[in-house]
Amino acid sequence: MRIFQKTNFNFIQHRKIAYGISIILLFTGIVSLVVKGLNYGIDFRGGSEVVIRFEKNADVAQIRSVLDAAGVSGTLKQYGMDRSFLFSTVFQGDTGQLKALVTNALNERIKGNRHEIVRIDAVGPSIASDLKWSAIKALVASLLAILLYVGIRFEIKFAAAGVIAIFHDILTVLGLFSILGGLFPFMPLEMDQSIIAAFLTIAGYSITDTVVVYDRIRERIRGQKQSEYARIFNESMNQTLSRTIITSGTVLLSVLVLFIFAGPAIRGFAFAVFAGILIGTYSSIFVAAPLVYDWLHLTKSSVRLRGSKAS
Amino acid sequence: MSLMKNKRFNLLLIVVVTVVAVWSLLPTWRDYSLSKQLESYASAQDSLKYALSHREEIEDSRKKSLKLGLDLKGGMHLVMEVDQVDLFEQKAWNKDAKFTAIMQSVRANASKSDERVLDLLVAEFKKENIRLSRYFYDIRNSDQEIVGKLDKESGDALSRAKEIIRNRIDQYGVAEPVITTQGSRKIIIELPGVSDENRVRNLLKGTAKLEFRLLREPEMMVRTLDRINNFLVQSGSPIKEAPVLDSLSAKSTAVPVTNSGKEATNPKSSNPLYDLIGVSQNGTAYTTERSRELVLSLLRRSDVQVLLPMDTELLLSAKPDMGKSGEKLYSIYLVKKAPELTGGVITEAKATFGSQGVQPEVLMAMNNEGTSKWARITGANIGKRIAIVLDGVVYSAPVVQSKIPNGNSVINGIESLEEAKDLEIVLKAGALPAPVRITEERSVGPSLGADYIRAGIQSLGWAFLAVSAFMLVYYKKAGIAADIALVLNILIVLSVLAGFNASLSLPGIAGIVLTIGMAVDANVLIYERIREELAEGKGVLSAVTQGYDRAFSSILDSHVTTLSAAFLLYTYGIGPIQGFAVTLMIGTSASLFTAIVVTKEIFHLLLSKNLMSDKSFG
Repeated sequence: MRIFQKTNFNFIQHRKIAYGISIILLFTGIVSLVVKGLNYGIDFRGGSEVVIRFEKNADVAQIRSVLDAAGVSGTLKQYGMDRSFLFSTVFQGDTGQLKALVTNALNERIKGNRHEIVRIDAVGPSIASDLKWSAIKALVASLLAILLYVGIRFEIKFAAAGVIAIFHDILTVLGLFSILGGLFPFMPLEMDQSIIAAFLTIAGYSITDTVVVYDRIRERIRGQKQSEYARIFNESMNQTLSRTIITSGTVLLSVLVLFIFAGPAIRGFAFAVFAGILIGTYSSIFVAAPLVYDWLHLTKSSVRLRGSKAS
Repeated sequence: MSLMKNKRFNLLLIVVVTVVAVWSLLPTWRDYSLSKQLESYASAQDSLKYALSHREEIEDSRKKSLKLGLDLKGGMHLVMEVDQVDLFEQKAWNKDAKFTAIMQSVRANASKSDERVLDLLVAEFKKENIRLSRYFYDIRNSDQEIVGKLDKESGDALSRAKEIIRNRIDQYGVAEPVITTQGSRKIIIELPGVSDENRVRNLLKGTAKLEFRLLREPEMMVRTLDRINNFLVQSGSPIKEAPVLDSLSAKSTAVPVTNSGKEATNPKSSNPLYDLIGVSQNGTAYTTERSRELVLSLLRRSDVQVLLPMDTELLLSAKPDMGKSGEKLYSIYLVKKAPELTGGVITEAKATFGSQGVQPEVLMAMNNEGTSKWARITGANIGKRIAIVLDGVVYSAPVVQSKIPNGNSVINGIESLEEAKDLEIVLKAGALPAPVRITEERSVGPSLGADYIRAGIQSLGWAFLAVSAFMLVYYKKAGIAADIALVLNILIVLSVLAGFNASLSLPGIAGIVLTIGMAVDANVLIYERIREELAEGKGVLSAVTQGYDRAFSSILDSHVTTLSAAFLLYTYGIGPIQGFAVTLMIGTSASLFTAIVVTKEIFHLLLSKNLMSDKSFG
């Protein structure tokens, strides 16, 4: 079976359209990030969260009013699981007190529908700022590591374009999180540690697809004249199109399974990785390689690639 | 010849890896089937009999089986922080108002930033242009020497706190607790399968600082209370609402209903203190449960503290007594600041029931030094009251009847036997060098854990089915090789986790699911290349060889980048995220072996038997 027989798209000629799409994507994302911002989970803002599961169906408004009457202030939302609710409030050093308040209030006022507190998370403000910093450090370090590695294996132009593509992917996903955040009850899309894990996964994977294209370019470009570059880039991208899409496809398949089956705790992560890999695949074809081409074209330099003998 | 040797080596390697993987997962399988067997018995007696007769096997397989993470099994993950500000305060001497002010701003800063408390302290002293030696250690020490000493002090405190917490947990009895330290002030505690979170939390957070302190005369306390009352009248400063930690207690506890029914916050009240505190004829003072928080915050005020007689402190009782009309009343005690004796001399503690057989209490025995001191103290204070203070609250304040020569003492005023047992644990484990606070807590109930396991297994199953089916449909016979490699890959990930005693969490399962999708990528790259070679008219054998050779550099690059991202995630991530990073790392590394070496061997085997054609790659 083959999805792409022999393709012959002229990616390089139409790269400006792709640039345009990318700029619109990024711009919309940035506007939303500035205007609407992100929903931070308790990992990064600090706070306490309680997941309450009821035996029978319960009404959000009713529970909310019961908790409110008991003097437990906070926000109550449907949680992405059957008959479950997520109650979030300010940080409580003593979650026992919080649990007791919630349990007592619900036992007293909602009779005949037993509930269970299935999860409590509490993150203090100092931990939250710790987590934020390590997230930023991890992201920056991974981008640097990729820049270094691809720079050594290929050339700094290739590496830089690859990292720009990763940036593009992560920023687009961030924008998506901002735009779609809070719109769907089954997927609140809050920024937490798992989303940082998703970003690093996206970073590692986006460059994977890019490297496949680079590798083919490196194999074919040796000793060619600059005027041939456009043709070589196009041919290389067409030749690797099938494997780029299939490798992403298998990962998308398994991430989709995660999204559907793994439950609400993983859903935000799965969404981020899914969107990231989709965009990462697009960007390795439409952003990374064309950027390298433009760079070579503008500086009128030829490629001095390392390690091409290995391929 | 060398190729043959190489091939034989590869085959051997594959066999060894497979055998080791299966072998290290066997205990997990045995553990699972044994617990199924135990559940299958109709009566508890039969299952107990079976458990006893197979005890060794059960324990052994449990020990070596794949561990489930806190989120899957249910349990608590706690991060506790040692209060270093308090620790440094303890180390200082000559403490004056200036010092208190400095430490207050250090405390404020420390709660906001995650810089080292010691650095904040040094910065604050520098800002005020005061040498550390004014308060710490010897006046001749340079700042640098003092910083070194304090640094060592805080390091010691952290490891001591960790040991004491471990002691407490061990005595409480939690299977396989994991206790580690992080940075200069954090202790991370993982307690799988804990059901009574509240009890554990109370057990962990108390400092367990036990003190025996002399009570001052009732007349003195009455005079002191009068003085505070007068001060409040004169200064006209209303008793502020308790500094409420959060909106929760703001609504539930801080509405003061006072003895006279007036609002305590009313500045015009003629006796603001006595709106909160009652004094009985025999000179004992008490406050109601509702005003307790307000009284406590009043006592913490520095302008109130200066009104107390030299070297004394006002403390509240730990448990309320029942008032006449059934209200809960907390007694107030004026005690000497310096303890006569501290909990360090306690060697043995035992929870039991008191003489009437209903009141739980804790009996304590002291070492030789403590015994002789205790005898002297009790001998010198017959007829006076000595308060037994634990973590700043008074448990009881008995009148000394006679000299106690044998070093025995007793804590009563305890509500339940369970609490007495917990007191026994913390007294035996010793006092923490400084207070600890819970700064992060994540607990998962067992029912949610079971849900997570189900969700995890479903995800694994469906992902494997979807990906392997795709490979079969898309690459036909070659897909079989990729699928075999995929099975081996999953086996390797699980066996490495089991072998290294790491635990599998829900994010870990997500890592494996992601690995399923990524592991076949190497095969896709190779197969696509082989198809290309075949399209150019090469024979199967040379197409396969070329395909593997030429795809290798892409595969290596992509694996290195994924691995480095996962590694950084592991380095900077915390707890659950590390679980994800670990399985992703193992899975990606394993796929270098399974997707390249294993599939290649399968093809060589098939080729040598003439079972491959150019149709085999779909």
